[in-house]
This record gives sequence, structure tokens and C-alpha cells, in this order.
Amino acid sequence: MIDVRDVSRSFGRLVALDHVSFRVEPGEIVALLGPNGAGKTTASRIIAGILAPSQGDVLVDGISVTTDPGSVRVRCGMVTDQPSLYERMTLRAYLTFFCHLYDVAAADRRTEELARLLGLSDRLEVRLGAFSRGMKQKVAIARGLVHDPPVLLLDEPATALDPETARSLRAFIVSLRARHRAILLCTHDLDEAQRIADRVVVLYRGRVVREGLTLDLRADIHPHFIVAFSGDAASARDALARAGVAAQPAEAENGYNALRFDADEPGTTNPAVLRALLDSGVRVVTLAREERSLEDAYFAIVDEAQRPESRNVDG
Amino acid sequence: MGKAALIAWREIRWEIFGDRGAILRTGFFAILPIIFVLSNRGVPGGRASELSILTFALQSALIPALSGVALIASTFTQEKENGTLVPLLASPVRDMDIVIGKLMGMVGPVMVICTGSLAVYYVLGSLLFGAARMGPALPPQILFSILVVAFLYLITAGSWVMIVAAIVHTTRAGQQIAGLMIGLSAAIFALLGIAASQIADGWPLVGLGVAFVALDVVALEIARRVWQRAEVIARL
Repeated sequence: MIDVRDVSRSFGRLVALDHVSFRVEPGEIVALLGPNGAGKTTASRIIAGILAPSQGDVLVDGISVTTDPGSVRVRCGMVTDQPSLYERMTLRAYLTFFCHLYDVAAADRRTEELARLLGLSDRLEVRLGAFSRGMKQKVAIARGLVHDPPVLLLDEPATALDPETARSLRAFIVSLRARHRAILLCTHDLDEAQRIADRVVVLYRGRVVREGLTLDLRADIHPHFIVAFSGDAASARDALARAGVAAQPAEAENGYNALRFDADEPGTTNPAVLRALLDSGVRVVTLAREERSLEDAYFAIVDEAQRPESRNVDG
Repeated sequence: MGKAALIAWREIRWEIFGDRGAILRTGFFAILPIIFVLSNRGVPGGRASELSILTFALQSALIPALSGVALIASTFTQEKENGTLVPLLASPVRDMDIVIGKLMGMVGPVMVICTGSLAVYYVLGSLLFGAARMGPALPPQILFSILVVAFLYLITAGSWVMIVAAIVHTTRAGQQIAGLMIGLSAAIFALLGIAASQIADGWPLVGLGVAFVALDVVALEIARRVWQRAEVIARL
């Protein structure tokens, strides 16, 4: 389990993290999102016990990174955005080397087990420099798992992977969740986060600007509705304008037309929309809330964080 | 110490013996002293002869050591440039084990070459100048002292190069600094030959050893500080 408690970190005058707190429970995947420079990598390095916080503390499996970073490192597996391998070594030598660094008993057996798990058994004697980008990333993941850590810190693990490898990587991460690992996923890939993360923490300029269940975050943003109908689109739009609802054309299927509109109070707005459309003579087929992606939610959160008044209130 | 030895072994097995360029560079520095000896057949008799034989012996051990400076610079800057330092720092290894392991991984093989070069010089010198002149000029204790000086030089130069490697960002910059260090060292070795011809007995050797020890203490302490895990990560 990861418990980040009021952590701040400065590099000279630059504040990389500013009173950040969040938790990752065992059997949970938490996505740490944010634009470049938001502090994601700094946060994961502090959690991994390789960078000391300027203020605050992180408990990993109940152990403090400030008082016992060595024991924290034993409990963390870290995968960086670049594979960062010793490319002159063979896969077997590389994984065995890291097994020995982590004092893993039966290093040879563990090396073969990990190679089998990641589908690299036939490449054990091949030099890492000859591996494809996807295979190198798999090796980086195997390196992070040599000591079977309870906590995994994944920093952009699917960077530059082809869609097939990225999908198998996602499946693998999900399988680790089933084995009760606490997984922190730092990523820019919002689609990936939406698919596998249980919860999301959004960092902006070193501060947590939103935290919650992935589904809740998607549901929280300003709701959009789409009404599909058969009939003249221009007159339908005019009818909605007369009813005080601003609508925009939306994509529709099966030859129907569609309009998208905001509704802060759907209980009032939606009946008014239906009434206006029926009065204008169009035949309404469906009226549904638009499915919002994590990407929509993320940009709404970041937009809000960027507003000057938001920063003033926070700061 | 176990993990430092593991890191050192990896450096030797995979970074030195796995890199043809490193082997060629080191081989070039190892051949240089032999060329010096072969081109100096006419060593005069008397005291001047003994000094020349001693100076050649010093060059035989110290010139191959110059290659170690470039190796040490590249091992640290390449790790930073390729990002391989992060997984290493994320493992439960003490900062000092990483520094000592990497230093020993480079110093160990170079010391073997220095010893080999000195041995080759002794055999060649015995053939060219005569065993009767080589024996008194280079008794075992002097040969041992020369190797100790070579070791101290490697640690001193290596530590200073490590300090610079912690600050620069690219392998190229690291190699340039190593080049400067090698040039400076070569100049010092040349001055050593002049000093040896002016001062009696083995005092230049003792003076050099003392200077290296003093520089080692300062450089290793600074290197230890700049290569602390948090410091390194903060600079990456």
C-alpha cells in the first residue's frame, strides 16, 4: 500500500510537488495524470525511495521513505518510460544481475519464470541491444518484478509500443492487480488510464487538483445530451433556440439528424427540449446522455485548474 | 561489499569485454610504453642509466593507467545518458556500493594491464639493457611501489573524473574532461622524469605517492557527496 502524506519537493526555487497527498490500496490501479512538469515523475521517484521529499512523508507497506528508504526500495518495483537496459548484456545475465541486487533466492529460476511470463523464454541468451522496442519494455517490466514487489510504480510503461504490445501490457498490469499489487500508473495516455485505472489523481503544477474514482470523474463533468431525430435539422435547432437551449450539430447514425446540448438541470431542460422539437414537427428517436471519456474529464479539470481565479483560490 | 563486487564484475564482463572500442583504446595505451623502450636501446651506464630504467618503468605502469581515466568517465556518463542509472539507484544498493563497484570495475582490469605492461618492460629491458643493470635499478620493492603509485593515480584521476561526470550530461562532455585529465597527467609524468633526474633515490616516487593519497582523500569525499542517490536523481 502507498500512502503519500502532504509531500512537497523543491529543486532550488522550483516547486515540483506542493503538499501532495493520496493513497493506493493493494489490488488497486491508480493513474497519476497531469501535463508535462506536473510532478508525476518526481512523485514516483519519491515513492520509490530514490528521491527524498523536502517535506511530508510516504509510507510504502507501512515503511517511511524518510527514515528507511532502503527497505522501501525492496518493496517497490519501478518501470521507467524508457527501458534503460544494459544493452550489451544477454537477457539471462541482465535479469540474474538484478535478482542478485535484490537478494532474490534462486535467481536462475526466477529469471526463467519471468522470461516465460513475458513470452521471452526463447530470447534468454540474446543480447538486449538486439531486442525490439516492445521486447525491451517487457524486459524493463521483468526487471521491476524480479523481487515480486507488493508495490509497482509504472512511469509511462506503454510509451512507443505498438497497439498489440500495449494491449498485452495492459492485460498484464490488470493481472498484477488481481494479485493484490498496489499499482501507481503515471501516464499521459488517457485511454490507457480509462481502461485500467480504478482511481485517478490529477496533478497540475505540483498540486493535486482532483482525485476520485475514474467513473466518478467522468460523470462529474458538465453533462452533455444528444437528441437524435428525423426531420429538418435547421428548424429543430431554431426551435431549441426559441426554447432557450443552445444546440450544436452532432454525429448521428442510421440517416437521422442529431443535436448536442448542455443541461445543468436535465429534469427541467430535457422536457423543454422534447416539447420544442415535437412542436416543430420533427420526430424524436432518442434522447440520451453523452458518454464522456476520461479525456473529456481530464481536460475539464486541467482547464479549471488553469483559470487564474482557481489558482488564486487554491494558493 | 558483495553488491559492489557484483557491480564491478558486471562492468568488467559486459562493459569492458563486451566493448571492442574499450579494448582497442586500452590496448593502444598498453603498447605505447613498449614502443618507448624499443626506441631507447642506448641507455648510458652509471647513475643516469638507473634513472632512465626507473623512468621507463614508471611510464610502463602509468601510461596504461591513462586509459582507465577514459573508461571511468564513460562508465558514469553513459549510465546517466542512457538512463540505466535510475534502475540501479532504485535497487536496494548503498550509494557507496555503486560508486566503489563502478570504480573497481574499471580500475581492476586497468591494473592488470599496468602490471602486465611493467612485466613486459622488465623482460624487454633485461634483454635490451642487460639483466645486470635492470636488477639493481628495479628491486621488487620499487616495482611494487610503482604499481601502488599507478593504483593511487587511477583512484585519484578516477575520482575527479567521477565528480565531473556527476555534473555533465553527455558522454561526449565526460570524454572531453577525461581527455583533459589524461593530457594533464601525461605532462605530470614527463615532469616526473625531469624530477627523477634531479633528485636522488626514490623521493619523487614517495612524493608522488603522498600527493596521490592526499588527493584521493579529498576527491573520494567529494565524489561520495555528489554521487549520493538523491543528488544524482535531482540532476537527471
